[in-house]
Amino acid sequence: MHRSRVATLGVAALVLAACGGNGAGTPQKKTELTLYNDKGAWTKYFDEMGALSKQSIGLGMKPTGYTDSAQYQAFIKASFRTNVKPDLFTWQTGGMLAEIVKQKQVADTTAVWQEAIKAGDLSPDLAPYYTVGGKQYCVPMNVAYWGMFYNKKIFDKYDLKPPQTWDDLVKTAETLKKNGVKAFYHTSVLFSFVWFEQLMAGTDPDLYDRLSTGKAKYTDPGVVQVMERWKQLIDAGYFINPGDKTDPGDVLKTGKAAMVSFGTWFNTSMTTRSMKAGTDYDFFVIPNVNPALPKTSMIFESGPLCSLAKAADPDASMKYLKWWTTAQAQEKWATSRGDVSANPKVTISDPALGTVTKDAGGGKYRLVNRYFEATPPQILTAALDGFGKFVTEPGTYKEVLETIQKEADEYWSTHQ
Amino acid sequence: MLGRFRYGYVAPAALLVAVLLYAPFVWTAYLSLTRYDGLEPPVWAGLANFAKLFDDAALLTSTRNTLIWVIGTMVLPVGLGLLVAVLSYDIRGGAWFRVPFMLPYALSGAGLAMVWSPVLSHDGIANVLLGVDTAFLQEAPANTFAMLAVWTWQQLGVNCLLFVVGLQSIPREPIEAARLDGASGWRLFRHVIWPLMRPLTAVVVGLALVSSLKTFDIVWVLTQGGPGRNSETLAVTMYKETFVASDYGYGSAVAVLLTVVTGLASYLYLRRQVTAT
Repeated sequence: MHRSRVATLGVAALVLAACGGNGAGTPQKKTELTLYNDKGAWTKYFDEMGALSKQSIGLGMKPTGYTDSAQYQAFIKASFRTNVKPDLFTWQTGGMLAEIVKQKQVADTTAVWQEAIKAGDLSPDLAPYYTVGGKQYCVPMNVAYWGMFYNKKIFDKYDLKPPQTWDDLVKTAETLKKNGVKAFYHTSVLFSFVWFEQLMAGTDPDLYDRLSTGKAKYTDPGVVQVMERWKQLIDAGYFINPGDKTDPGDVLKTGKAAMVSFGTWFNTSMTTRSMKAGTDYDFFVIPNVNPALPKTSMIFESGPLCSLAKAADPDASMKYLKWWTTAQAQEKWATSRGDVSANPKVTISDPALGTVTKDAGGGKYRLVNRYFEATPPQILTAALDGFGKFVTEPGTYKEVLETIQKEADEYWSTHQ
Repeated sequence: MLGRFRYGYVAPAALLVAVLLYAPFVWTAYLSLTRYDGLEPPVWAGLANFAKLFDDAALLTSTRNTLIWVIGTMVLPVGLGLLVAVLSYDIRGGAWFRVPFMLPYALSGAGLAMVWSPVLSHDGIANVLLGVDTAFLQEAPANTFAMLAVWTWQQLGVNCLLFVVGLQSIPREPIEAARLDGASGWRLFRHVIWPLMRPLTAVVVGLALVSSLKTFDIVWVLTQGGPGRNSETLAVTMYKETFVASDYGYGSAVAVLLTVVTGLASYLYLRRQVTAT
């Protein structure tokens, strides 16, 4: 009996030892860091950055890209409790960053920010997105300004110019409709929030901000009016079918829709399709719905690159983040993807995007945090589903808003 | 002698089962009684998540859709599989006749959905071929029926194969005796062949019942449960609540519900079959 117990215990000990990993907390000296991210499509660009960092600071980087954001977030959350920890990882600003800061999982980068701002590598305007409790966490992996990409050839064909006012935009859509061209792209999956945030920000950005923090309700008259305006645009026949699964890059290239609203990162889709800026496509800032607003509202997003508070080699991770903000790193990162950069020193090759970046940096626009980051995950999930339902059945807008508000009530009852 | 070591021999297997199967189940059951976002420690919430189940319109939709999947699976992949098996098992070249039905089974659920996505989407091949303008994946419950058709395309073959094995394993004597007594066609099938196949039918229907109750991959890839949650199944709701909305507590409650429903349905069905046999 005694022997059998010993054997049982022996097997159990072996199994547990195998599960236990290799000694957490032991400091290591790393020459290559792992970078986990939810941008699987950008692996090529991350690889290029890894090669450049190895050359520049003697620290390589190997990306592991996920394509499903939910799976990715579940993995990162689980990694906080295991020994399989990423050296660097991408995340989201807003509530999601605050959550992991609160859990003391993410490394403080205040010193990196101070140095980068002093060197002119980061704008102090960006700092609030990365500040929790007076300290900065992570650095900007990317920034993006949202506007309208349009098919230049279609615009030229019908003698259309980038609209200066909301009425101009609607007239443009009407002209296209009369010529049998769908004006706008929209979708019922994931990016179903795009037109909601744009219409909200262009109508009442303060209400949009209050909605994000639970100080306003989705059933408030201002929000209902925005949904009614959105419905009018859909009912007018300006949008393609929301169930269309064509890649939005192809939608714009083939002219299935003349305009696609996305962040500046959409430029990568254009360049990978060999489309030339200024000839095949171009970009304009979407005018406010409400002309009385003092500044044009522009949706802004910034994705953080973070390191863990308990990283395997904290010095190496911090060194990498510091390097990431430099002009050398950002020049490569922005140029290879054809996107804008968080570093004001970087020259943007695309003229339209270059102007937007310069103007945004100069305070011309009211930057509005993208809905995806501004809204807590539970409410966001309900909202994405709700907007997906709405674009398919626009008549359901009141029911949709009530459903989202129900989720918001539940969330804010425990998170205020 | 062996008796003294018996626990040692079974320990590795018992430990693996305990760690990989029972522990996660117990953990999930515990989480269903908490409020948990995957980061902060779970906070005890009693039966609040289960109370929410009864007040959730989306859950009603996913229960309805899951029911359609269960009934649809019995009628289409299983029913048609039986039909193809009966029509082909006793004819010359029957095996070749069944080959095309078997081929799609080689695809995984996600792969299957990827293949059908460009066919069923609004700008897809189905609309072009049929000369219609139908949103196959948008309106409920039509989108669930469309996905069920895809599921049938894949699953029919394997059900058919299992039924053929069943038909071929039936002893010839009772069938010959029935034929001598003048039975043929539907009467022969209904009163002789079908009762003899009962053990195998129980397995096929039992497997189909469980797999239809946990339908996930095909729906997730084709519609992600949308638009507006109208094509969600219970398994999709469980995934979305847990990993997309980060509401691990409520997601776990849906998981417990799904487990209970699957376990109960399987138990009731199998008990009935065993009693009948």
